[in-house]
Amino acid sequence: MISVEHLTKRFKDTVAVDDLSFEVKPGLITGFLGPNGSGKSTTMRLILGLDQPTKGRTLVNGKPYHALAAPLREVGALLDAKAVHPGRSARNHLLALAVSNGIATSRVDEVLDFVGLSSVAKKKAGSFSLGMSQRLGIAGALLGDPPVLLFDEPVNGLDPEGIRWIREFFRKLADEGRTVLVSSHLMSEMAVTADQIIVIGRGKFITSGSVDELTKNAAGTVLVRSTNNAKLSAILKDAPASVNEINDEGMRVSGLTAEKIGDLAFSAGIAVHELTPERASLEEVFMDLTHDSVEYTQSEKGTN
Amino acid sequence: MAHSPGLLAVVRSEWIKFRSVRSTVIGTLIMLILTIGIGLLIGLAVKGHLASMNPVERASLDPIQVATGGILFAQFAVGVIGALVITAEFSSTSIRTTLAAVPNRLQLITAKGIVLSSVLFVVGEIACFIAYFDGALIFHGTIAALPPLTQGRILQAVVLGGVYLTLMGLFGFGLGLILRQSAGSISTYTSLLLILPILVFLLPSSWQNTITRYEPSVLGQAMRSTTGVLRGGTPVFSTWASVAILVAYCVVVMGAGVVLMQRRDA
Repeated sequence: MISVEHLTKRFKDTVAVDDLSFEVKPGLITGFLGPNGSGKSTTMRLILGLDQPTKGRTLVNGKPYHALAAPLREVGALLDAKAVHPGRSARNHLLALAVSNGIATSRVDEVLDFVGLSSVAKKKAGSFSLGMSQRLGIAGALLGDPPVLLFDEPVNGLDPEGIRWIREFFRKLADEGRTVLVSSHLMSEMAVTADQIIVIGRGKFITSGSVDELTKNAAGTVLVRSTNNAKLSAILKDAPASVNEINDEGMRVSGLTAEKIGDLAFSAGIAVHELTPERASLEEVFMDLTHDSVEYTQSEKGTN
Repeated sequence: MAHSPGLLAVVRSEWIKFRSVRSTVIGTLIMLILTIGIGLLIGLAVKGHLASMNPVERASLDPIQVATGGILFAQFAVGVIGALVITAEFSSTSIRTTLAAVPNRLQLITAKGIVLSSVLFVVGEIACFIAYFDGALIFHGTIAALPPLTQGRILQAVVLGGVYLTLMGLFGFGLGLILRQSAGSISTYTSLLLILPILVFLLPSSWQNTITRYEPSVLGQAMRSTTGVLRGGTPVFSTWASVAILVAYCVVVMGAGVVLMQRRDA
């Protein structure tokens, strides 16, 4: 369980996280979604106590991070796969982490084996590819067998096989009743990975819900074909709705439900041949939701 | 949930980290080699000049200072090691992984300090004792013969040689905590030891005598002095006053480092 309460983080002249509140529940994969620079990484750093919040607080299992007796036994995190001394072997890196939290050293070989790095355990972490580094980071996150896990952009640098592996791995963790928070700027990735999604933009909470809920609530479009597209289009525009792509095939209408369009056509005496509600894809919902914040981050320098 | 593994666990973890990267291990070896090797070279050079020295020079000759003269070079190695213990974590961003595992920053710094000072003290003492015995061999039977270790001031001088190296390592560590980057910390440390004395040399000589005795390496020589003056006659602080001043430097620099480390984002 992770609670973020009115979290605000201000750097010199930018607000990276702005009064953000949400909860991440156990037993689910929660996607933490936002464009690059929207404050995902900063939020995760704040949860781990690496940065001090300007306002608000974060709790893990009801406690501030620094109050956790052996943090690695309660929270596993992979923020930056390259956050390893390049001259230290993978095994020694994990060994030092394990020892600091009183974790049995036998666990080091277990996690190395689990992520498939046993054969390169004695190699320097600096010689690892990004994909191998990600695996080492995952091994570090799993060391303490923690009930809460955080992953910042974990699929970066993984090959398709690795991506499938990591998805199944997240699923397994959630099925074991753990709290899993996974950040990404890719909606498509979250759509297939996450049960629950939290969307932020510009450091602010935008929305949250299941993939189904998010697409359901979003304004979809309705494909309409009628005997008189031009006339119906004019009527709908007055309704008001926005109408696109008028041609012989029909038109796409947004801003009105299919029922309402049907009623309007009926009262105008236009026979409707097709009236198909089209649900927005998750990707479209995301683009729509974060549109403003993307513009912001492109004009000002984004912090990640 | 599990109770806190405590400081000892963090010390063990930091010890694994210290010995598992090449830079700190090689740095420690370099310190050992410089203390012994340069001490040997200086000893042989001085021995060659003994016959041609005038009485004043002979009077100001402090054989233990000569035997442990390698410290003047080894002090650069310990400063680098001290800085790297923390700056390497920042340059590789592994500090984030470290602080996620050990959120208590004071505990982390304490553990790093304990590991660093233990290693430097043990290796520093080994180096200084070997340097003493080398010196004793070189000057055996000459007018500069080294008194035996059983003589209190001699034993004290040798032991304080290792203490000096340890304190300078902690000084470098403190600079690393403040500056957080290797190049900046190492060049600041080197400047304080090399460039500051040159600047002091530009001052009027009455000021020089006052200021010079506060320089770290002069304090270190005072700690090992059995004559109470340096070559050239520069007056220095007493042994224990020198130790106290050097400890004060370390406390100030490390104290600032701790405060900044607590405040800043990682």
